[in-house]
Amino acid sequence: MAKVQVLNVAVLDNPSPFGNPFQFEVTFECMEDLPEDLEWKIIYVGSAESEEYDQTLDSVLVGPVPAGRHMFVFQADAPNTGLIPESDAVGVTVVLITCTYRGQEFIRIGYYVNNEYMDTELRENPPLKPDYGQLQRNILASNPRVTRFHINWEGCAEKMEDSENVDPAPNAMLPPSCTPGKAPPLSLVPDNSMDCL
Amino acid sequence: MKLLKPSWVSHNGKPIFSVDIHPDGSKFATGGQGEDSGKVVIWNMAPVLREEDEKNENVPKLLCQMDNHLACVNCVRWSNNGLYLASGGDDKLVMVWKRAAFIGPSTVFGSSSKLANVEQWRCVMILRNHTGDVMDVAWSPHDVWLASCSVDNTIVIWNARKFPEIVMTLKGHTGLVKGLTWDPVGKYIASQADDHSLKVWRTMDWQLETNITKPFSECGGTTHVLRLSWSPDGQYLVSAHAMNNSGPTAQIIERDGWKTNMDFVGHRKAVTVVKFNPKIFKKKQKNGSTPKPSCPYCCCAVGSKDRSLSVWLTSLKRPLVVIHDLFDKSIMDITWTLNGLGLLVCSMDGTVALLDFSQDELGDPLNEEEKNAIHQNIYGKSLAITTGSHLTSTVIENPEMLKYQQERQRNQNPNGEAQGSAPENQTHKLTNVLNGESLEDIRKNLLKKQVETRTADGRRRITPLCIAQLDTADFSPALFNSVPILPGSSASTQLIPQISSDSNSLGLRPSHDLTSTSPNKPAEDNKDSGTAAVNSIGMKSNLLLTSASKFEPMKALDSRFTERSKATPGVTSVHLTIGITPLDRVKDGSSVKEPKGKDETSSDSEDKIVVKSMAKRKGEMEGAEVVEKRKKGRPRKDAKMMPISQPFPQTPVSLEKEPSRLTAPVALLKLPTPSIQKSFSTQVSTDGVTYLEVENEVSVVSGSRLSQLKWSREGREWDTLLPSRIIIAAGSSDVVAVACEDRTLSVFTACGRRLIPSIMLSAPMSALHCSGHFVMALTASAALSVWDVQKQTALVKNESLDPVLSGTDATVSQSFLTRQGVAVVSLSNGKAYCFNSSLESWNLIADKQDSLVQCADFRSCVSSQDALGSTGPLALTQGRNLSAGRLASGLSSTPHLLQQGITLAFLEKQLSSALILLSASEYRHWILIYTRFLVNEGYELRIRELCQDLLGPVHRSSSSSWEPTVLGLRKRDLLTEVLPVIGQNLRFQRLFTEYQDQLELLRLK
Repeated sequence: MAKVQVLNVAVLDNPSPFGNPFQFEVTFECMEDLPEDLEWKIIYVGSAESEEYDQTLDSVLVGPVPAGRHMFVFQADAPNTGLIPESDAVGVTVVLITCTYRGQEFIRIGYYVNNEYMDTELRENPPLKPDYGQLQRNILASNPRVTRFHINWEGCAEKMEDSENVDPAPNAMLPPSCTPGKAPPLSLVPDNSMDCL
Repeated sequence: MKLLKPSWVSHNGKPIFSVDIHPDGSKFATGGQGEDSGKVVIWNMAPVLREEDEKNENVPKLLCQMDNHLACVNCVRWSNNGLYLASGGDDKLVMVWKRAAFIGPSTVFGSSSKLANVEQWRCVMILRNHTGDVMDVAWSPHDVWLASCSVDNTIVIWNARKFPEIVMTLKGHTGLVKGLTWDPVGKYIASQADDHSLKVWRTMDWQLETNITKPFSECGGTTHVLRLSWSPDGQYLVSAHAMNNSGPTAQIIERDGWKTNMDFVGHRKAVTVVKFNPKIFKKKQKNGSTPKPSCPYCCCAVGSKDRSLSVWLTSLKRPLVVIHDLFDKSIMDITWTLNGLGLLVCSMDGTVALLDFSQDELGDPLNEEEKNAIHQNIYGKSLAITTGSHLTSTVIENPEMLKYQQERQRNQNPNGEAQGSAPENQTHKLTNVLNGESLEDIRKNLLKKQVETRTADGRRRITPLCIAQLDTADFSPALFNSVPILPGSSASTQLIPQISSDSNSLGLRPSHDLTSTSPNKPAEDNKDSGTAAVNSIGMKSNLLLTSASKFEPMKALDSRFTERSKATPGVTSVHLTIGITPLDRVKDGSSVKEPKGKDETSSDSEDKIVVKSMAKRKGEMEGAEVVEKRKKGRPRKDAKMMPISQPFPQTPVSLEKEPSRLTAPVALLKLPTPSIQKSFSTQVSTDGVTYLEVENEVSVVSGSRLSQLKWSREGREWDTLLPSRIIIAAGSSDVVAVACEDRTLSVFTACGRRLIPSIMLSAPMSALHCSGHFVMALTASAALSVWDVQKQTALVKNESLDPVLSGTDATVSQSFLTRQGVAVVSLSNGKAYCFNSSLESWNLIADKQDSLVQCADFRSCVSSQDALGSTGPLALTQGRNLSAGRLASGLSSTPHLLQQGITLAFLEKQLSSALILLSASEYRHWILIYTRFLVNEGYELRIRELCQDLLGPVHRSSSSSWEPTVLGLRKRDLLTEVLPVIGQNLRFQRLFTEYQDQLELLRLK
C-alpha cells in the first residue's frame, strides 16, 4: 500500500492577482521512514488543448520524511505568461500538483483555475492581448481531483509486479507510465470562453 | 425470521469475500475486490436494522472505505475489544486498522463528497510474512494473538500486543490453509486446509494436538474458503467442506477425544463457511408452563457453495431454517450479531443479506454469567476472568492515576517511535498544539519557518514540519485492553451527535415489515419478500447520487480527471425463493452435553534430575553426577507409595584402614563419606580457573605421612602440607577448607594462610562447602555446622538433620551453601531444607512433589524480564525448570477458585522461602509476580498488607519495629516497583493513589 497519504492540500493566497506565486500547504502522512526524498511539482496547464503549453512551475524535494504526519508549503512562481497561448489566458484551466517517489508518480492533484479580469469593463470587453496585470486567478480549492497510482515503494522505477493494480482509468489526468509533466492529448476541448463563475 | 438484502451494501458489484460485525454491533466490515485493488469497507449497521435510518439521509451508510490492499481482501475480522480490524488479502499482507482518534470525521482528500469517510480507519500495522494469499485471519480470545493462514500452507501467530512480533509459524499443512478458528477456551486453534485435513494446534506449545483427515479424504475440488467454527461452549468444532457417503457435510468434531461421529448434512455442494452464534441458548419458558430446567444449546449457521444457508440449533435434529437461492453465487462468510439474533451473510455475487431472528425462534440467550457458569463447569475456569474489559468503563478518578496510565502506555510503546520525543498519547494535543503553538499559528508562519535548503545540484529541498508522530506503536496491552481514556479525544465529539442515537441500540427493528418469513409458511411469503426487497432497493439507490459540483459548465474538463468511483445507480432486482427443505442429520446428539470432569492425565514425562550425589558408594571425591530418572506421577499417589522408611538405608563407608583413628560409633553415621583417594583435584567456585589439587601421602617425614594441598589459579599457586590424609577439599573466592581423615577441618585464606586452628569435628566429614567467608560442614553423623570464618563465629552449631531425615528413607542428595551463608540440604525425596539460625529450625523451602507447586498457575503473571531475575539459591533448589503450573497449564480439572488458592499459597511460599534463603534478587522476583497475581485476581486485602509492610510508618516513631530494608533491599524502593503493577488494575486505583501519595510525601521529607 501507499506509504504516503496526502491528507490535505490547502490553497493559500487565493484568489490572488495572476502574477502572485502559487502557494499550496500540503499535509501528508507517512507510514514509515522514507529513505529517499519525495519530489513535488506544480504544473500549470497553459492550454487545455495541448500539453505542449504545460509549464512545470517548480519542483522541490521534500525530506527527510520520518514516519508521521508532516506539512510544508510549496510555493512556486506564477507561470511565464510568454508560454501561455493568448487565447487561453483568460478562462478556466488547470494546475496540477504531483508527487513522485523514486521517480514514480503516486499522486496527482488537479485544481481548476479560473482566470478573469477583476474589472467589469475588461470582463465584458476583454482586450485581444491579455492584460495579465489585471487578471485575477481563482483556484477552485474546494474541488480537488485526486488520482492515485500504485507504485513500487521499495524499489526504483522498475515495472510493478502488480501491474493489474495500476490505475486502469484511461481518462486519468496522466497515465502513470507517462513522464510526469507531460499531459496526454485531450480528447475534449473545453470551451474557454464560457463564463462560468 | 426476517430477511433483508440491503442493496447499498456492495463493492460496486464486485465480489464480497468477508463480512464481520463489530463487537458493539454498531457497524460491520466487508472485504473483497475493489476497483483496482482490494477493498475494505466499514458500514453503519443502523440503516441495515432500521428502515427509518435507512431513509434518513443524515444517517451515514458507509463509514469508511480503505483500498490500501493491493489485491482482493479475503477476510476481515474485528478484534474482540472492537478497537482493531484485521484484514488479509491476496497481496500476502495482513493489515491491522485502527480508528484514527485525532483526525475526526473528514473526507478523504480529493474524494468527492459522496464518498466522505465518516470515520477514519487507518492502517496501523502491516504484517508481512506470508508468501502467498492470506485466506483467513482470527483474533484469539482476549486479543492476545492474531492468527493468519495462507495459501503458503502456513499459519502465522502474531503477538497482538506487540505487532509485528511473530509468536510462532505453524507448519504442517501440505495444502492451502483456508480457515482458522480459535477455541473459545483459548487452549487450541484449529485450521482447515485443501490438503484434506483439519488440524488442531495447542496454544500452550503450538504443537499439533490432533490431525483429522478421515471426513475430508473424499473431498474433491476446491472451495475458495474453508471457514470452520468453534462452538461458544467450546465443546464442538464444526468444519467446513467435509464428505460423508459422497455427500457434502459440515463435520462436527467433539472436543472430547476429537471424535467425528456427527455432521450437518443436506447441502448439495461444498460447505464454505460455518459460523456459531456467539450466544448459548436455552428453551424459552412459555408463560404459564412450569419452568423446567432445559439443556442449553448452541446455534450454528452453515453456508455453502450451493448458494443456500442453513441455520441449526444443536437441540434440534433438523435445521431451524434453510434458505435457498439467497444469492447468485457461493456464500463466502457469515457473521452473527453479538446479541445472537441477527446474522449477516455475504456472497461472491457481491451482495449481503441480513437474517433477523426472534427470541421465540432461537430461544433465550444465556447472559454472560450463565455462560461463564457453563465454562466454569466444563473447564473449571471462567473465561471472563482475565479480561480487563469490564474495567474499561471504570472512571479514572484522579490525575495521578491518569498520568500513570498515560506514562505506562508511553513506556510500553514497544517500537519506540523514530524520535520517541513525542509520546503517542500526546498526539491528540499535537494536532492542536505543538510546542505551545496552535496548529493555526504554525500554519500562518509555515512558509517562513520551514527549512529550505539547496541540494548539491541546486534543487530546492524542503524539510517538512512534523506535526504528529504516528500512533502506530500503540499496541501496548494497556491501550489494547482499555478504551483510550483521554480527555477531549477529539475524534468522537463531532461524530457522536450524528451517529450515536442511531447506532447504539443493538435491538433490531421490532416490526420489520419489509420482509418477513416465518419458517413455517415459506411459500406464501416468497413473493412478498421478493417484491419488498425490490422496493426497498428502489428507495435507497438514489441516496448515493449527490450533485457533483457547482461547476457544471466545466464538466468538459473532467475528462482530464479520474472519476474513480462513480456511483452506479439503478435498481438491482433481487429474486428470492425461500423454502424450507428438511435436511437430515445423520446422527443426532450434538446437544450440549453435561460437562464431565476431565481426567487430567498425569504427565508421563520423565524428569531428568541431575543429582550431585554425595551418596555414591564409590565416593569419588568430585562428587559424581548421577542422572536420576524418575517417573513423575500424581503427587499424592507418590506420597502414599513411599515405602515405610528405614532408619539408615545407607551403610556407612568404612574407614577401617586405620582403625585406631575411627572413633565415631558406626551407628551414628547416617550420611556417607567419601573414601580416601591417593590424589584428586577439584574446581573451586564457578570461575572455572581455580583448582584445588590434593595429593595424599606425598612424603613421609619422621614416621608421619604428609599430604599436600595445592591451589592454583591462572598460573598463581600455593601449596600447604597437612599431617593427615585429606578427604574433601572445597573453596570459595575467599577461603579454602579441607577436611581430613582425622576429623579435622582446616581453613585457609585464598592465599594459603591458615585462618583458624583445625576445627575438631564430631564425626567424619560427609560434605564440605565454601561460599564467601562461610564454610559449611555436613558430617557423617548428619549434623550441620556453618561458620563465618571472617568473623570467626558459628552460624549453625552441629545441628542434627534428624528432624528432616527421620521418618523417611531419603538421604541427602545435594547440599550447598549460599553466598549469604545459608546452608541448604536437598534430600533424595525431592524436598529441600535450610537451617535458619535465628528461628533455630529447619525450614522446608522446596518440595518437588508438592501439589501446590504442580497446580499453581501464575504464568500469566510472569513477564519476560522476570525470567532473568529468577536465578538464585531458590531456583537452584527447586530446579530451573520449575514444574509449577505443569498440571495447571491451560486449564486443569481444578476449579478456578481452588486453583486461585493454590497459586496464592504457592507464591507466598516462594516469597517466604526467598526471604529465609536471604536471596534478595529472588525475593524481588517473586514479590513482583506475587503482586501481579494479587492484582489480577483482586486480593485487595493482601495487596494492602503488602504495601503497608513495604511502606512502613510514614511518621517516625521509636516504638516502631519496622525495618526499612529487607535482604538489603529498601522496602520503599520495592514499593516503588510494586505500585506500577497495582496501577495496572483500575480497580485498585485508590489504593495505588494512596500509597503513591505517601511515597511521594516520604520522598519530599
